[in-house]
Amino acid sequence: MSINLLIFVTMYLEVITPDKKIFSGEVNGVLVPGAGGSFEMLNNHAAIISSLSKGKLRINSKESGVIVLQIDGGIVEMKDNKVIVLVEKVVES
Amino acid sequence: MPSLKEVKNRINSVTSTQQITKAMKMVAAAKLRRAQERILLMRPYAKKLSEILQNVSATLSSEGENPYGEIKEIKKVLIVVITSDRGLCGAFNSSVIKSVQSLISEKYSKQLKDGQIELLCIGAKGFDYFKKKNFFVISQYKDIFQKLSFDAVRQAAEFAMNNFLNGNYDVVEIVYNEFKNVATQIVKVQQFLPILPQAGTTHQNVYTEYIFEPSKEEILSELIPKSLKIEFYKAVLESNASEHGARMTAMDKATDNAKELLRQLRLSYNRTRQDAITKEILEIVGGANALTQQQW
Repeated sequence: MSINLLIFVTMYLEVITPDKKIFSGEVNGVLVPGAGGSFEMLNNHAAIISSLSKGKLRINSKESGVIVLQIDGGIVEMKDNKVIVLVEKVVES
Repeated sequence: MPSLKEVKNRINSVTSTQQITKAMKMVAAAKLRRAQERILLMRPYAKKLSEILQNVSATLSSEGENPYGEIKEIKKVLIVVITSDRGLCGAFNSSVIKSVQSLISEKYSKQLKDGQIELLCIGAKGFDYFKKKNFFVISQYKDIFQKLSFDAVRQAAEFAMNNFLNGNYDVVEIVYNEFKNVATQIVKVQQFLPILPQAGTTHQNVYTEYIFEPSKEEILSELIPKSLKIEFYKAVLESNASEHGARMTAMDKATDNAKELLRQLRLSYNRTRQDAITKEILEIVGGANALTQQQW
């Protein structure tokens, strides 16, 4: 009877700036420009907080495919399969 | 007693004034809604940021050096004055200006004598006023409200923060209107830098074990300026919402006043008209009487 519920849960991503919510939805993975080098977070990644440097944020979205955002540094938090990216400025590209 | 024509002219002018104030009230209401939406949009970001900040600083054993919290001898002061660009909003701007002046004369009179006070004005009203009073005013950021965005506000906040770090300013204060509700604004004087230690912050007990990249200290040093900028942005947004709230209330009162004025004017118009009619009838009757008497 022990069904691993996590298999059915997909990763949820939010990209927030103080002006608006840039992106929210289910994703397969997200590539972030971490301060110590770019890294990708996939489903069920361990809880992490990392600062981000200037660079490209690549979202592999479930619904709308790959979205690339140019960001100006920020913070990312992953917890309970939910990723929140806080950025101050986004240049859509 | 004013003539009919005069009263009529006044009625016309008051009516058109009332139309203007009514329209301004509607516009202010729409803008207020947008301003409130902005605050709502900013909230998730601010909330998450402070959550992370709490999480990081709670798991960090030593507080570490925080360059933004360093208390220095107060030589040079920067006061950020947040007003509006336009008038017709009641005591909104004058109360900010008044409280800036009392802040200067009570707390920083020595610095004023030495000419060590600089003002950063956001919003044209405060800028014009203090420019006229020969204060040293930084004009670079006064037009933020024309196209309000976090990016523009961020630059102003960074200006204050960088100059604080460089030692150009030893203390930075923000004076702005806090939005309580549509009718009430509270003028708030807030010390922006150095950061005051927060008394009685609520500590959650549940902390997730995070991986920290690159290190807690580095994340903390990035988080602090970010949350400061948000603090600054919040003050600007609050002031923006307050402005429209204040204008809405002021225009609502003006519309009411115009209504009352119109009522009185109409009364006086009708009285004057009635008087004129009575007089005319009397004249006709008198004339007719005179004629009939002559015939006899």
